[in-house]
Amino acid sequence: MAGLTQLLNVARDALAAQSYGLNVTGQNISNASTPGYARRVALLQTQNLGTQSGGGVVAAGLQRVTNDFIERREFQATGTSSAATARDQTLASIEALFNDGGGTGLGSAMSDVFSSFSALAANPNDTTTREKVLAAVGTFSDRANDTANTIAQTKMDLTKQAQDTIDQVNQRAQEIAKLDMQIAQAAMQGDDASDLKDQRTQKILNMSGLINTHTFTDSSGSTVVQVAGTTIVDGQHARTLSLDMNADGSLKLLADQSGGGATEITQYLTGGKLGGIKEVRDKDLFDVSAQLNQFVFDVGTAINTQHAAGVGADGGTGRNLFDLGATSTNAARDVRVSVDVFAHPDRIAAASNVFSVPGGSDNAVLLSKLFESPIAVGNTRTAAQAYGDIVGSIGSTRASSQRDVDTQGAILQQVQNMHQSESGVSLDEEMVNLTKFQNAYQAASKMIGVADQLMQTLLNTVGR
Amino acid sequence: MRITEQMRYDSVSNNLSQLSARQAKAAQESQTGLRVNLPSDDPIAAAELARVRASQGQIGARRGTITAVRGDAELAESSLQQASDLLATAKDLAMQGGNGALAASERAGLARQVKDLKDQLVAVANTQGTTGYLFGGSATQTRPFDNSGAFSGNDDDHVVDIGNSTPTAVNASGSRAFTAAAGGRDVFADLDALYTALNTNDTVGITATLSNLDVSRAQLTNAQAGMGITINKLDASDSVLAAVDQQTSTRKEEIGSADPAKAYATLVQLNNSLQQSATVSKNILDLAAFKQF
Repeated sequence: MAGLTQLLNVARDALAAQSYGLNVTGQNISNASTPGYARRVALLQTQNLGTQSGGGVVAAGLQRVTNDFIERREFQATGTSSAATARDQTLASIEALFNDGGGTGLGSAMSDVFSSFSALAANPNDTTTREKVLAAVGTFSDRANDTANTIAQTKMDLTKQAQDTIDQVNQRAQEIAKLDMQIAQAAMQGDDASDLKDQRTQKILNMSGLINTHTFTDSSGSTVVQVAGTTIVDGQHARTLSLDMNADGSLKLLADQSGGGATEITQYLTGGKLGGIKEVRDKDLFDVSAQLNQFVFDVGTAINTQHAAGVGADGGTGRNLFDLGATSTNAARDVRVSVDVFAHPDRIAAASNVFSVPGGSDNAVLLSKLFESPIAVGNTRTAAQAYGDIVGSIGSTRASSQRDVDTQGAILQQVQNMHQSESGVSLDEEMVNLTKFQNAYQAASKMIGVADQLMQTLLNTVGR
Repeated sequence: MRITEQMRYDSVSNNLSQLSARQAKAAQESQTGLRVNLPSDDPIAAAELARVRASQGQIGARRGTITAVRGDAELAESSLQQASDLLATAKDLAMQGGNGALAASERAGLARQVKDLKDQLVAVANTQGTTGYLFGGSATQTRPFDNSGAFSGNDDDHVVDIGNSTPTAVNASGSRAFTAAAGGRDVFADLDALYTALNTNDTVGITATLSNLDVSRAQLTNAQAGMGITINKLDASDSVLAAVDQQTSTRKEEIGSADPAKAYATLVQLNNSLQQSATVSKNILDLAAFKQF
């Protein structure tokens, strides 16, 4: 039969257990805004004395409330959203290059070239008019160069960003492996590793923003982290990723092998900031560059052909107006005012034959008429149509990218809500818990007081 | 579903952020009056705008061409009118010279006047405009007629692009107006013939020049009429281009401009929404139950 001493013991254990509950609640409240923190639940259970019920309570530890399924969804959604954002940020800057609203872009420069031919036909012997043709041709070349160089510079910046991102992935992998080791040690020592697990989850989440990341628990209970379809952290071991470049200038992602050498994993790179960089750099910018180069090459070639057929005021013929390569490769970057005519306005071929110099204007008219001729995209589109096609294509790509950012952001928000709902701290709940443990603690204190009174009563009676 | 404070903060933050973005976009539309500020705002419209802007540039260039050449065309027309008037004066002198009562010395005086008329006609035929000599064909920098009236120019057209399917000639042919190159009459030779007849007191010869002077004058009048037609063609093309320019501007407005009333209404609506959202957000954040403990 339990005596007063037992009552005191029960009250003592209750004080300890409720105090533990208060501590856990305080921990939750303190970390309500800590990124990666998963709420804890104090595990209280009745205390047994052998096979007998002791009537007391004991704090059996705490539970870190998580859901592996939701966490994996969050890693995936974070990666997809980060990829969309990284891609969209670059596309926004590229889109601005083709925004001709101010009348200072490549489209306006192209239009000015044809307009200058029209003015040349009106006054073929006027030096100022001829200089304006050269100026228009120069401006078109400059705009094409600027646009191509900005795209090239953007690609270089993205390469640097990709390298920085890979460095961060490698650093996170090392940190995760180290945390895994610390968690294993804590488990062996019977310590609570919740804080370390929070940190590990946060590191993995951070990594999933950098590259598409997947995790699972292997048969030994270790967390395996895979990025781009490749295991990068397996327990306490971390692999290293590196960056290389293919012959065509596209990025190549490599994972080192334990026996030396590296395996290419580019094809499995689908998400995270690195995935977005790869897509915008090697696909979107590649497409834009190809369209731009083709446009400049087509327009420049058509004008060159017609110009070469004409005769300058000096009687010379067969001259180009633009210096262009033989193919469209890098045409936008390399196009220049031809050395044949540079600083020589008299060499602009306004006339079609030497006998009509200097007042002949028929070749200038033919140059002007190229504006409405299908000279681009395999002679199927006019210059203005081809430029409009580029603008429309870039606009569509950016609009699609913006929708992607919105969609993936909404999905991520939904998953984050699920995660918060499962693992986040509710201050309302914690206030209730605080009151619950506080009341229980006060009641246990009261039990001690009651036991003490009873003890005093007993001692007074026996001692009389 | 458990609702945590972080969810409330995220929700408030996201909603305000989205509303702010929409409000900023509406404010931009309202301020600029443009619906398409970037290609991604409406890619199809942006592509068409790029084409329309280029077309409008070309229309502007062609109208500029018309303005540039119209002055010379008018000068050529008035020069041909002057030339025609000079021939009319020459015919008057020929008729006076044909009067049998006139003395030889008086006919010699008329001959000197004819000589002056020819000099004036040579000067008219060598009129220069902004592009050079107007009646020399493509030889715009060389005096096409010497003092005797011999032609050294060519019959090339000065063509320009004013939007027609074929290039438009905007000059008058000096060889066709003043010389016999195209089967017409040599105007200067006819004046020379009159001068000689007057100077040699040849009344039969004087009378014989009358019909030739009529034909020469008609030749100049025809050339003048041709320039008139050219000027009309330039004016007609300019009118067409002005109309197309107007249509293009309207089209550009339709494609890229924002409806001011709608843009402003949207802006006001979003301003109100943003204010309401801020108020509601404050209430949501204030309503946390733990604050009541």
